This record gives sequence, structure tokens and C-alpha cells, in this order.
Amino acid sequence: MTDLALTHFTPRASARNMFDAEPLFAATGLLIGLSLAPTLMAMAMDPRDFLGENVWLKPVKFQIALTLYLLTLAFFARWLPAGITRRRSYRIYSGAVVIAVIAELVWVGGAAMFGIASHFNVSHPFMQAIYSLMGAFAVLLTSATLVQGIAIWCNRQTGLAPPLHLSIALGLVLTFGLTLIVAGTLASQSGHLVGTPVSGSTVPLLGWSREVGDLRVAHFFATHALHVLPVFGLGATALLPRRWAVPAVWAAALTFTAFVAASFAGALAGLPLVPDF
Amino acid sequence: MPPETLFQIANPVAMAGWLALAISPFAPRPTLIAAGLVVPVLLSLAYAALILANWSGAEGGFGSLAEVMLLFTNPAIALAGWLHYLAFDLFVGAWEVRAARRASIPHLLVLPCLVLTFLFGPVGLMAFLGLRLVHGRFATATGGAA
Repeated sequence: MTDLALTHFTPRASARNMFDAEPLFAATGLLIGLSLAPTLMAMAMDPRDFLGENVWLKPVKFQIALTLYLLTLAFFARWLPAGITRRRSYRIYSGAVVIAVIAELVWVGGAAMFGIASHFNVSHPFMQAIYSLMGAFAVLLTSATLVQGIAIWCNRQTGLAPPLHLSIALGLVLTFGLTLIVAGTLASQSGHLVGTPVSGSTVPLLGWSREVGDLRVAHFFATHALHVLPVFGLGATALLPRRWAVPAVWAAALTFTAFVAASFAGALAGLPLVPDF
Repeated sequence: MPPETLFQIANPVAMAGWLALAISPFAPRPTLIAAGLVVPVLLSLAYAALILANWSGAEGGFGSLAEVMLLFTNPAIALAGWLHYLAFDLFVGAWEVRAARRASIPHLLVLPCLVLTFLFGPVGLMAFLGLRLVHGRFATATGGAA
């Protein structure tokens, strides 16, 4: 009876890939990516809307974002100090991060299933308690960028060119710092919009309001610092003279922070990033 | 997609899986991948989507027979239940074919079990388990005598 499992169909486990330095994050990321199949199908069949959009759009966005997040961390993990991922404390921590990620997805997906709000849901003491818990989980899962950023920053044996090394570490640390401020403020409001939309005009795909302030814009950019800065670091390493590349990365980090701050302040003031004229 | 349309699509898909099992001795690997993996996964995906989209809107539950019957008055949930039958019966059928190959049970003996599993799932499973039990005893006895 041992052949109950599909042992014949499991892919070769030995196949090495670009995410092997953090198998737990890579495997979880991949699994979340695969879980898009049922939610996308549910979105296609479910006629229910929430706040003017299909109830499944939000879970789908979270699935895409968290897949990308975990695969990014798994990719950067190769530059962690040797042996750190084998430490017991690290394994407990990364396990907690994965549990937090899955809890967020179950919460957002469950709310979609029942057609109710997830974030900002203070309609019932239970949902309010869950919302608070999920806020703590969100900080926990985002803290992985800070931990990884500092560990990579301190690692002198990455073999990376200094500007690229700096840009990866800085991007990770900025993702944590900026996201904490922006998302923390966002969570303390009663909703993601500042102002009352009339026409409901939004940016395609991303769904940001084109009429009023939308705090999700700043959250998006803040959290993508871990992608933007390394891409800049890669370009600076390849194109700039050596003595200019590291200062350029610092300048880019400052500029990007200013940009996030501007989009944040603009949204708080009720201004859309992409106005609808 | 209305439940009726999905129903019309799901039945031939499951049927293709059963046909693949019936002819599996001619091409074991592709037919078992189709019937034991691809088709059950497709049906399971549709099941998951139906449950995600319709569960909260359905009445009834699992607590009593009356609740279960009430649950299945919802067309989308009834369709999900039907896809559950299709997916799991086919998966069991594919397991029977694999287990039979492992135990060297002739495919012609497995075919009636597959028909029963297709039509009356659990009856077919029992038939196959009985066949495997009897075949094992018999094969061991003759093997010892030879």
C-alpha cells in the first residue's frame, strides 16, 4: 500500500535551482504561487463584489505579492553568512515567518470566501482581534527583510561587487523601515483611501484610486525597495566608474526614500499618484 | 461559468481519464499520469474554486442528514459534490491499476473492478481489494509449488 502517494510523479529532488539557499521560503513561495490556480478559477466563477471589485482580487494580489516576496528572500539568501540558515534560532525564526505568511493568506482568502472585510474589519470583536493579530504577523513577516538585510550587510564574504552588495542590503533594510512606517500608518486609518471617490476611477491592474489619496501606493513602493535598489546597484556596478558606484547607490536609496515619502505624504493629503483629469 | 456548463465539461474529462485507465497496459506511463494526476488535479481545481466561491452562500452543513441534503440543494455545491466523486473515483481507479501492475495482476481482471469503481466507487474499491487479496494467496501458493 506504499504506492498511495504519487511517488512515480515526484520531480527529481536533486535538481538544483536558484532558490536552494533558503528551501523553506522557496517551497512556501512556490506553493503559494500554485494556490493561485484555485483562487483565479474562483474569481472567474464568483459574481460577488467587495468595494466594487471581485471578492477574489485581493487574495490573488496577496498570493502574487507573497510568492514574489518569499522567492526574493530565497534568492538573496545565498549571500547570507555561511551556516546561518542551519542555526536552530534561524530555523525557528524562518518557520515563524512562513506561518505568519500563511496566516495572512488564510485570513484574506477566508474573508473573500465569506464576502467580508479582512483589513479594517472592526465590525465584530472577533474580527477586530484577528485584524490586530494579523498586524503583528505582518510585522513579523516583513522583519525577515531586516534580518536578512543586516546579515548580508555584515557578511564580508559574499563575493559581490561593493555597490551591488550595498544595494541588496540597503534595499532589504529599506523595505522593512519604509513598509513599517507606511503600512503601520495605513493600518491605523479606517481604510486605504483618503477622501471619498465619486467616479471610482482606478489605475489598471494595481487598482489605486485616481481621484483621492490611496495609501496602498506608498506601501507598494516601500515594499519593493528590495527589488528597486538591487536593480539600480546592478546597473551602477556595470555602468559607473568604481569610485562613483557606491555613492550612487546611497544617492539612489535617498532618492527612493524621498519618492516613497512623497507618495505617502501625497496620499495622506488626499492626492492620487496618477490623477484622472 | 454556470454550474450546468461546468458539469457538461467535467463529465467527458473524467471519462477520458477512465478510458486512459482501460487502455493503460499499452502505454502505462502517459495513461497513469493522465488518469492518476492530470485529470484528478483539474477536477480538484474546479472543485476548490466552486467551494471557495459558493460555500458561504449555501445553506445546510455536515451535522445531520437533513443538513447535508439541504446543502446539496444548492446547484454549485451539488456540482462540487459531483466533481468530488469524479476526481476521487478516478484517483482510486488509477491507484488500482498501479497496485495491480505492482502485484502482477492481469489487467483483464482489473477491468471489472474499474467499471465498478467508475459506477459505484466504494464497491469497485472493495472488489479490487478482494481481487488483490485472493490473487496474492493464489500466486504465492502456485509460486511455492512450482
